[in-house]
Amino acid sequence: MSERAATLRCDRVVARLGDREVLRDVTLDLDARTTAIIGDNGSGKSTFARLIAGLVRRTSGELAVLGLDPERDAADLRRRVALVLSNPDVQIIMPTVAEDVALSLRPLRLAHEERNRRVAAVLERFGLDALADRPAHDLSGGQKQLLALAGAFVRAPDLVVADEPTAFLDARNARTVADHLLADTGHALVVVTHDLALARRCERAVLFEDGGVVASGIAADVVGRYERALAC
Amino acid sequence: MHRMPAGPKLTLFAVVAVVVAALPPVWATVAVAVVVPAALYAVAGMGFGAGLRALGGQVWALRWMIAITAVGQLIFLGLEPAAANTARVAAAVLVAGLVPLTTPVSAMLDALERGLRPLRRVGIDPARVALLWMVTLTTIPVLARHAADVRDAQRARGLRPSLVRGTLPFLVVALRHADDLGDALAARGIR
Repeated sequence: MSERAATLRCDRVVARLGDREVLRDVTLDLDARTTAIIGDNGSGKSTFARLIAGLVRRTSGELAVLGLDPERDAADLRRRVALVLSNPDVQIIMPTVAEDVALSLRPLRLAHEERNRRVAAVLERFGLDALADRPAHDLSGGQKQLLALAGAFVRAPDLVVADEPTAFLDARNARTVADHLLADTGHALVVVTHDLALARRCERAVLFEDGGVVASGIAADVVGRYERALAC
Repeated sequence: MHRMPAGPKLTLFAVVAVVVAALPPVWATVAVAVVVPAALYAVAGMGFGAGLRALGGQVWALRWMIAITAVGQLIFLGLEPAAANTARVAAAVLVAGLVPLTTPVSAMLDALERGLRPLRRVGIDPARVALLWMVTLTTIPVLARHAADVRDAQRARGLRPSLVRGTLPFLVVALRHADDLGDALAARGIR
């Protein structure tokens, strides 16, 4: 990845869903290649991930993702940010594996040959090349999540936002998915996770509590602080 | 037929479906409405036997539509028109049903987008219309699975599945799927 803007600049961001304040005064700068977002259920982690990905609008505050305003520069941001959700089933749209990956390339309006080449390359990267013509909904849970990753990475995003990507997976598949997400292929990663082992593998971590950031720093330190709080 | 390009195939099936649907309400129409889908499914490229089995599956899936149409027509119009009207409606749907069986969805999407390009002049985005159509098509089997899940959940609670009891949970699940689908499209960079 060539010289790039900071992954995230967040200044006193507030987000409300209905009359409920789900993010309050979040001020954060993220520059690391890999960042884990951790915290209890309902702490605002997923809302924060969706805010970065442009799915949730902020109520107030300043926000820049890859140097772009998610509202003003939504189209540019969509091209550069990929989102991976927790439930593999909801991420499958097209009938077959190859078609589902190719769907991600439609906005780029590539020639068929180039589209097919990129799809084949990413399927091979994620070990799905033998399943290209298989009905996508017939895959196992782990394969479906790898398919979701393939659909995200085929666009060569600058930033991947993953919201609990291993929540529905067994330990082996969770490890495989984590390895792919953490691999240095030119993208930055922000991963919301309850998997503290995955969080520890990131460079930085941010701890959310009640909609606000209570700790941010080296992943091992932040995860350690959270584990100590859980032990109390 | 499965090797035919998507655009001409869609056009052909659309023409056949319209022609069959426009046939007069006479006994001869019943014969045409049976023969045409059977012939198309037999030569669709799935194999003769597999094609006819696929046709049988489609007819079974349409059984309630066929039954309700036939009864309504019989009450108001009489036997010959009821038989002909039911047969031609069913035939049109069955011919249309052959398209997803013989054409990759991505090819249909490309063909539809190409076909809709002239509508750019009146402000219509062909890519969005084609995507809307594709999402509708691919959502149908997903909703069918959700309906089956709702019935299974009712059985798991010791209840007999019923339309009345199952409608609200199905609607909740379907609306949640719509939200999830929006997120999934956004996750792919598609607005």
